[in-house]
Amino acid sequence: MNETAGWTESAAELDAIVASFDEGEVTVDDLFAKLERATAIIESLEARLDATRAKVDELAPRLTRIAEGE
Amino acid sequence: METDDRGDGETVYEVGAFYELLTERLESAYGRRHPHWVRGEIAKVYEKGHMYIDLVDAGSTASDTRRPVLNAHCWGTPWAPMKKKLAADGIALRPGMIVSFLGYVDVYAPQGKIGFSISQIDVEGLLGDVARRRQELIGRLQSEGLLEANKTVTVSPVPLRVGLVASPGTEGYNDFTGQLLHSNFGFDVLLVRSAVQGEGAPAQIIAAIEALDEHGVDVICLVRGGGSKGDLACFDDERVARAIARSSTAVMTGIGHTGDESVADLVAHTRAITPTKLGEHLVGLVDTWYQRNVKGPARRIVVATQEIVDESTEYVAERRRTMIFAVRDRLRAEQRHLASTRGSLVMHSRHVVNSAAQLLASRRQLLSAYDPTRRLAQGWSVTTRSDGTVVRSIDDVDVGDGLRIRVSDGSVRTTVDEKNGAT
Repeated sequence: MNETAGWTESAAELDAIVASFDEGEVTVDDLFAKLERATAIIESLEARLDATRAKVDELAPRLTRIAEGE
Repeated sequence: METDDRGDGETVYEVGAFYELLTERLESAYGRRHPHWVRGEIAKVYEKGHMYIDLVDAGSTASDTRRPVLNAHCWGTPWAPMKKKLAADGIALRPGMIVSFLGYVDVYAPQGKIGFSISQIDVEGLLGDVARRRQELIGRLQSEGLLEANKTVTVSPVPLRVGLVASPGTEGYNDFTGQLLHSNFGFDVLLVRSAVQGEGAPAQIIAAIEALDEHGVDVICLVRGGGSKGDLACFDDERVARAIARSSTAVMTGIGHTGDESVADLVAHTRAITPTKLGEHLVGLVDTWYQRNVKGPARRIVVATQEIVDESTEYVAERRRTMIFAVRDRLRAEQRHLASTRGSLVMHSRHVVNSAAQLLASRRQLLSAYDPTRRLAQGWSVTTRSDGTVVRSIDDVDVGDGLRIRVSDGSVRTTVDEKNGAT
């Protein structure tokens, strides 16, 4: 997987894979490859999401304190 | 009384005797210390324990050497409470003022003066005069556009650098700075000490405003707690008003009590009714900016961030479910296809096998018609030479050759005795 790809780019690739399934374009030959690719993208997105959520959990209380004027 | 007779009936007075006579005649004419009201314009005023005033007719000029001058004075004892009363009303006797005094004629022999001893001042009249002068000043400032001049100055949206003209330690100073101190905002107060009452106050206030304007601050605050009209008179000073109007920095005032409104207040960019209210106003300005530019965005960022995280989490979860179902569906479709293909193949194979079986049976039946054993049983035989070759013609053998004749149940050996052609 292209590690430098951004969230939008990765999501677009994932959407394209899902669309190819919806359109019935996936053959048995490339089924595994596409599944493997989709899994890698999803895991990457989840990892990024976890990291982002952790940062948000750290920063949100600070922003909330500012917003609430503590 | 020291007098002399010239001998011609005329009396000659010594100087002192003359003044005694004069005093006696005046007192007999007006009564002893008979009071009179006298109105005039103050030409000179001088205070040293007692108050000395030169009073002239209003409108007369100093160049007129013949204009009458009344040397009035007010001795220290009556002057002290009078001065206090005037100060409380914001009045300081100055040249040019039109004033009415109640007093009596006073002959002061040591200096050879016939003066006027003041016992009372028409304060009401003076107040009216002060008010009239104040209105005239306001009119002048208005006609010159100075009432609005400082109001057009743009104030920083975050006025944290505050130039303060005040007297440290006073109630007004403490009230104002207390508001800034307890606001939790980082106000940077640059104080220029100034007297805020008394004769020297206007000059100090002007110098402070000009210094702060030159230094560069977000706003200049002119602060003074409550007091008598006299205490606050410096804020009605024309020079102070003009300094405020000239300032390129917004000047805000918090002077006196709720009911006080000085000329400085009218000229200022913003007028608060007290030092406390002025502090609150500044804090309010900063807080408004803080709410709009810091707290509001922070609140929106928190909400938007959570929405993005939630949406992204849902997106990934949905894609994960979609992929699982899509792959399962695809595999099931392939399994169904394979199952269908397998069924077709079995049916087709059976058909082929059956066809082949039928063909084989047909061939077997056909071949059975040609079975040599059936021919041998019918009486046919097969003759072969010693090398095993079938004899099909008489030419295949010679007389004397040994032959084997095969029949249905066995074979016999024979020898060719003769050859005869077919007839």
